[in-house]
Amino acid sequence: MNETMIVGLLLGSLAAMVPIVLTSVGATISERAGVVNIGYEGILMLSAFFGTIFAEMAHNGWVGLLGGALTGLALGVVHGVITVYLKGDHVIPGIGLNLIGYGGVAFGILAYWGTAGQHQVPSYAQISPLWMDAFGNSLSPMVPITFFIALLAWWMLFKTPLGLRIRSVGENPEAADALGINVELYRFTAVLIASALSGVAGAYLSVDWLGTVTKTIAAGRGFIALANMVFSGWNPLMALVGGFIFGFFDNLAIYIQNNPWLAGAIPWQFIATLPYVVTLIVVAGIIGRARPPKWDGIPYKRE
Amino acid sequence: MEEETPLLEMRNIVKVYSDGTKALKGVDIKVYKGEILGLLGENGAGKTTLMKILFGMLKPTKGTILLNGKEVRFKSPADALANGIGMVHQHFTLVEVFNALENIILRMEGHGLLSKIDVDNARKKLQKLMDDLNFQVPLDVPVENLPVGVQQRIEILKMLYRDVDILILDEPTAVLTPIEVKELFDVLKKLKSQGKTIIFISHKLNEVMEITDRVTVIRRGEVIGTVKTPEATPQLLARMMVGRDVVLRIEKPPKEPGEVILHVEDLWVKGDRGEEAVRGVSFDVRAGEIFGIAGVEGNGQSELIEAITGLRRVEKGKVKVNNVEITGKKPKELYEMGIAHIPEDRTHMGLILDMTVMENAILGMQWRKEFSRAGLMDWKSVERHTKHLIEEFDITAPGVRSPVKSLSGGNQQKLIVAREVSKKPELIIASQPTRGVDVASTEYIRNYLVRLRNENKAVLLVSADLDEVLQLSDRMAIMYEGQFMGVVKPDEVTEEQIGLMMGGVKA
Amino acid sequence: MSFSTELRGYGKPLAESVLAILIGALIGAIVLWLSGYDAVAAYKALLEGAFLGGNFSETLSKSTPLILTAITFAIGARTGLFNIGAEGAVYFGAIAAVGVTQVLQNPLAGVLSGLLIGALWMLPAAVLKVYRGVHEVISTIMLNWIAFYIASWMALSVLANPNNPNSTLPIPPGARLPLLVQNSTLSMAFIIAVVASIVVYVIMWHTRLGYELRTSGQNPRAAEYGGINPKAAMVWSFLIGGMTAGLAGAVQIMGIPPSYSISQGLANVYGYGFDGIGVSLVGRNHPLGIIFAGILFGALNAGATQMQQTGVPLEMVKVIEGIIIVAVAVPGLLDLFVKPFRRGAQ
Repeated sequence: MNETMIVGLLLGSLAAMVPIVLTSVGATISERAGVVNIGYEGILMLSAFFGTIFAEMAHNGWVGLLGGALTGLALGVVHGVITVYLKGDHVIPGIGLNLIGYGGVAFGILAYWGTAGQHQVPSYAQISPLWMDAFGNSLSPMVPITFFIALLAWWMLFKTPLGLRIRSVGENPEAADALGINVELYRFTAVLIASALSGVAGAYLSVDWLGTVTKTIAAGRGFIALANMVFSGWNPLMALVGGFIFGFFDNLAIYIQNNPWLAGAIPWQFIATLPYVVTLIVVAGIIGRARPPKWDGIPYKRE
Repeated sequence: MEEETPLLEMRNIVKVYSDGTKALKGVDIKVYKGEILGLLGENGAGKTTLMKILFGMLKPTKGTILLNGKEVRFKSPADALANGIGMVHQHFTLVEVFNALENIILRMEGHGLLSKIDVDNARKKLQKLMDDLNFQVPLDVPVENLPVGVQQRIEILKMLYRDVDILILDEPTAVLTPIEVKELFDVLKKLKSQGKTIIFISHKLNEVMEITDRVTVIRRGEVIGTVKTPEATPQLLARMMVGRDVVLRIEKPPKEPGEVILHVEDLWVKGDRGEEAVRGVSFDVRAGEIFGIAGVEGNGQSELIEAITGLRRVEKGKVKVNNVEITGKKPKELYEMGIAHIPEDRTHMGLILDMTVMENAILGMQWRKEFSRAGLMDWKSVERHTKHLIEEFDITAPGVRSPVKSLSGGNQQKLIVAREVSKKPELIIASQPTRGVDVASTEYIRNYLVRLRNENKAVLLVSADLDEVLQLSDRMAIMYEGQFMGVVKPDEVTEEQIGLMMGGVKA
Repeated sequence: MSFSTELRGYGKPLAESVLAILIGALIGAIVLWLSGYDAVAAYKALLEGAFLGGNFSETLSKSTPLILTAITFAIGARTGLFNIGAEGAVYFGAIAAVGVTQVLQNPLAGVLSGLLIGALWMLPAAVLKVYRGVHEVISTIMLNWIAFYIASWMALSVLANPNNPNSTLPIPPGARLPLLVQNSTLSMAFIIAVVASIVVYVIMWHTRLGYELRTSGQNPRAAEYGGINPKAAMVWSFLIGGMTAGLAGAVQIMGIPPSYSISQGLANVYGYGFDGIGVSLVGRNHPLGIIFAGILFGALNAGATQMQQTGVPLEMVKVIEGIIIVAVAVPGLLDLFVKPFRRGAQ
């Protein structure tokens, strides 16, 4: 391994961590408020698609991110209404959302651009990198922004009244309710923040990092993000650490796939399982103990 | 004192629950500024319901609340808090992973939603509050790691931080050790001296005598009377609390009890929070005898029964049935030994509400040969059995295949009794067997328990309904804070003596 | 005496399922129309492709794995578990069937290997739940992905076909499941799925084990009081559920001509675990309801190919399925629709 390769792997990991961290941070806020959603994979898919459409219309990659956020928000409203206001199950809508995302993007690519399975995002609709070297390694402005968002989310959750209230409705909504906190409002708000962040992450995949929309564009990142959320103990700052590790694995797996001489030594698939194996070990309490909020995933009905 | 306008007045409060239960039948109470008012009564008397109405948690069916002479309506606890009324519940409403500071300042953080919480300022304010009251709680430890007594102080601080003038405490000493009780009383006296008004809900006579200025006694949803504490005696209060006319008469021929069936010796059991719920209880139940355990709920009766029936771990002591040690045995083994159990919680333990009457009629017997062979259920036989129970116990059910939740509470309870009796037990443990059950079913179940006794079975009856224990038992114990205050014969004891024991005073 | 009340008990769930399907179809039509397609023509092609003539055998064939994975979810739901781990067990069922039949060229060996490996693969989730209190949604999501990568690797290495880089070794002819209709993909696998559903129905409603599993799922405290060990019940639920999911993977390869092998990227065994959740929900988590819901989802997948000929991408049916699942997730769906009308009538 030479220096360029190491720089490449490092920058690649930073690029790969952006969607994972944004989605984990969102999921953390939502679960801290007590709402589970396993539909981030679907949100990533659909916002990658609609984000691209926004970006192409506006000839601006940043508008693409906004489009992604709006897409996420719309899907978040569906999930939030079902889980928070109608007191429905928290897991089932996500399963539906993922299917819609998976089918919708494959359908949409063909219906909108007329190509099968893949659409190249034109450069005028992409976000230009902050920095780039001769070998094609680059750094997206979304990397520092993601660090900033994670920091902001941590500060919001643990230092502000909003965060205190969000955490109170996820830990003990009865106690919060008894003090006059509107449990439903805070839960719904948290769901919206989460899905908007996940929407930005999805658009980032297409209009920034990968520069393409494919029918498998999320590639399990919605689930990796959930793994990272658990791994990080529902803490946005730890999600940065976990996100980098998971991004590194993601990148390493791709790197091994592209370098046949390495593939003989370690199958890339084994690397790809690591985030999930590590998360299982963490939830099993073998190293430390990750404890979800007490009312995570439980609808709150006042007596 | 009586001439001034009361700070708070509740007039003609009626509460009828949706299932038709009349919890309050027109209650009037007055609370004056700066006093400690005791609200005394047995379980189900309506004390907590009344206070939940005051705190905005329940809507009264009828009645008005006047604060400083003006009518007020509280839609939620937040409304009550905004009007200076705070309540500390028996079950705390604390966010377990938050520390005391976070729990106390929640929704009173100050400034905007997205600004930094001014922790230093909050700490200063809290420190002053604690110094004034002369008590301290650690502000930075997650409350789940603190003892119950400290958690209670945090609840009190949470209310005081909101500047409440009236503080309601629901059975505050139920979870405290004697030293903690003394410390709590010091705090209450201090609060009184600062001009706060306190409503103290309790069934403990000594405590009411010690801390209150006036006592309002409630019985069965009605105010029996209000007395100034210095003019009261524990004997008077006990009579007011439990005195009643006996409604039902149960025929019970005299009977000489036979050999010992259940033997409990120095039993110690822990509660859910790790507290010592049962502290060294010993007793025998003989064949042909009903042994009753009376007492206000939450004094360890539930834990005692769960320990005997294999549902809770025994910390220390012995339980024997027919001279065979049964501690550590599983419920299934106990059923095989001839024990039947009518559990106190009908909907959470006794029945599976969404399953059918048939399926519920064999719970705890599903392995018996008549109901399943080689792992296959014999539903025909189960149906026959169920229909037989329905007929014999006169249970009204839309059908054996209907979900059991479609039965009325009384019929659900009769189904449980029928099922347990059909196990042909030698020992029947009946816990709150008639709670929430209509009058006809209650009478039926009570008569049936007597019939079992007459058939030479051993019956252990636990009930918070004192009438029930008095009428049915051959011998009875009064349980208080995990111990028996005494074992007596119902016809050799006065109501006053029982009231005293229920209130923690040894007769 | 109460058979009619029992039937009435099924009426509302059935109506809700039908309503959810209608909502899925309606929103699907709107999406098609907005995207500039002829929704009527597309749905006509979809229905013809699913039900017309010999196409119905394709529908039944496509429903086979869905019925089996739906059973996995349903057993979990009936025992108080949210077991979404069928997906991973399907992959390993397929891998095991391909591997074992290379040695034992017998359909029974393939089927049994699927059952066994499926049960084994659920064991970690069961152990984590019972001993460490790990929620099964978290553990099964992780296990699904671990299974995906390990199975992908096995398909490409141990079971790689030297003559075809795009698939694994095929199931040897002697171990294939016989076709029910010649020149179709409908094989014995469908019969196996129906029989498995009936067996599970019998287990759940006619054995003591089933009684104890359902009791634990509805009310663990009552179960304990009734002499049942709720933790053991959970383990059983995972194991039986794993078996049907593993079976799904095995028969999906053993019964589908012409390749009788696992495609690259696990493409022909991918997604059934998740689709099965939808099938189970629409079938109201009941083995017999699942057979019908499975056939409905099978019809969507079978008809999709013909719909594609009208120019509509076949993935559209996934969108419809997804919308159906979201609609089923709305509590009291029927009331939301019926109430406004009732109010209007008053």
